[in-house]
Amino acid sequence: MRTDTPLIRLHNIEKTFTLGELDIEVLRGVSLNIERGEFVALRGASGSGKSTLMHILGLLDRPTGGHYLLQGEDVAGLPDDRLSALRNRLFGFIFQTFYLIPYVSALENVILPGLYSATPARHLRQRAEELLSQVGLADRLHFRPGQLSGGQQQRVAMARALLNDPQVLLADEPTGQLDSATSAEIMTLLETIHAQGRTVILVTHDAATAECAGREVLLHDGLVRNR
Amino acid sequence: MTVWSGIAEILTISWRCAAMARRALWAAKTRSLFVVIGVALGIASLTIIVAAIDGAERKANEMVQIFGPDAVLVLGGNIESRAVGQRTLTLSYDDAATLRRSLPGVYMVVPMRARSSVQVRYGGNVTQVPLVVGTSAGYARAWDWPLSEGRDLSEEDLRRGAKVGLIGDTVARELFGTRSPVGRTVLMDRFPLQIVGRLSYRGVTGGGGAVDDRIIIPITTLTQRFNMDRKYFRALRIKFHNPEYMAEHVANLRSLLRHLHGLRPEEPDDFSILTADEILKFLSTFKGGLILFLGVTALVAMVVGGFVLANLFYLSVDERRSEIGLKMALGAPRWAILVQILLEAVSLTLLGSVLGMGVGMAMGQLLARLGLLKILFSWKVFGFALFASLAIGLAFGLKPARRAASMAPIEALKGNT
Repeated sequence: MRTDTPLIRLHNIEKTFTLGELDIEVLRGVSLNIERGEFVALRGASGSGKSTLMHILGLLDRPTGGHYLLQGEDVAGLPDDRLSALRNRLFGFIFQTFYLIPYVSALENVILPGLYSATPARHLRQRAEELLSQVGLADRLHFRPGQLSGGQQQRVAMARALLNDPQVLLADEPTGQLDSATSAEIMTLLETIHAQGRTVILVTHDAATAECAGREVLLHDGLVRNR
Repeated sequence: MTVWSGIAEILTISWRCAAMARRALWAAKTRSLFVVIGVALGIASLTIIVAAIDGAERKANEMVQIFGPDAVLVLGGNIESRAVGQRTLTLSYDDAATLRRSLPGVYMVVPMRARSSVQVRYGGNVTQVPLVVGTSAGYARAWDWPLSEGRDLSEEDLRRGAKVGLIGDTVARELFGTRSPVGRTVLMDRFPLQIVGRLSYRGVTGGGGAVDDRIIIPITTLTQRFNMDRKYFRALRIKFHNPEYMAEHVANLRSLLRHLHGLRPEEPDDFSILTADEILKFLSTFKGGLILFLGVTALVAMVVGGFVLANLFYLSVDERRSEIGLKMALGAPRWAILVQILLEAVSLTLLGSVLGMGVGMAMGQLLARLGLLKILFSWKVFGFALFASLAIGLAFGLKPARRAASMAPIEALKGNT
């Protein structure tokens, strides 16, 4: 791994969805570098393509054009299971709607990404407990998601995102469903995570939220708007 | 990564997928229960079928063993045309004597007549004996039915029309308890009968009837004492040397009897010959019908169970799209998703098969108690049921599982197909 190349390098990324006869160009040539340890906000109105861009960044989706170099490696030709493994080790995800599994406890939700590796269960459990107490849920380990408030659920999701100690945290509108007080807590946690040396990429439509980030990338109609 | 650590990782992940499968199934209890019941019904019917066929086969062999592979039974009258009222008393003592003398390969000819429901008394004990059989000498030998004590009927008994008899085990017990019946005299109908031998316990035969509640006396005694036709009798048991030539023996027997009865070539037989082979043939026809009928039933039940499974799993995969998408987003490889869904399907069908075996055995017990079938637990059935349910789980679970594993992570996460 060379340290002089950017962690993430996007060159002319395009994404077109086909809906029947209709082609919808969501991304129309996005070029972007993100360095290690950055805190970047991807901001744009609804329909600007920011979520699609985040999915491509997080290897959840493949671009229809352009190049994505992750740690200097072009990910375009990699098979699905290799992408899964990269997601598993390199990225942590937080979503607007949390996506917790409703029928297992907070602790088991946090352990989930660790289950797809050979890491011993004992270590996973220990790490999950640590992470849950870091986000202030030490006394809620065995609660089901339905027994937790929205803010608590998002904190469980954050602990889950950090389980495999990823370099990059991708947060897609993490405060979109939360009230302002709870949102502030979540943003503080994001800053803490950034302060630990991780790269944080925050997707938001909200200018105030985006201000927490060190750099703001403004998306408009599938293109990065230069200022 | 070495090969071994790769394999270890795959095993670890698969094991964890199994745990996740268990949690997911438990979370959808009702649906899981439906699948289990669906499979269980199929396996239950399968269990009964295989056990029934096994039981029928065992019975058939038992019957043939009792009948004796070297024996034939000649019945008066033609079984096929008995319905039209043909007379059944066509076998005469002269026939028996001629057969004994002239039929090649024969070593025993035993005529038989019977009287049903005869009252027998000993001291204060009275019992109704369902069957008093009249026979010639050597009954025990002719029927391969060893005596537990005493002696067989002799030629001398027969000639004299002696008032002696062999006693079945059940009758002996009823009249004498634990005492030996041999040498004692009972009162049969209105004449005294000395018991000279006791037949060993044989139990229940294939037909379901008991054979131990009979008394055997010389056929001469029977006809004299009960005032029966002195010329004809109902059945004749013949035993041959060299049972491997049974077909030839039977052909000889048939042509000789036809000759003795003066039948013209166009006339049908006025007697019927039963051999062990014929009994087996009849039983295997019966068994074939059983297999076909029950087999179709079981197949339908299994296929229905399989479709229930496939449908419910499609539904389940559909409902859990975002959960599956999430797991993929968090780095689950596609094969792990496949493994989890398949494990869910297979564990439900395996559970169903064990339950189905239980239900099948219970129903079998019921049938056995009703005297219809005797069903025994067999490892063969158990193994087959497990294998069948495994196959159903894999076959019908594979499509939903592949569908789950082939979803695009982000579309699944958003809940789209």
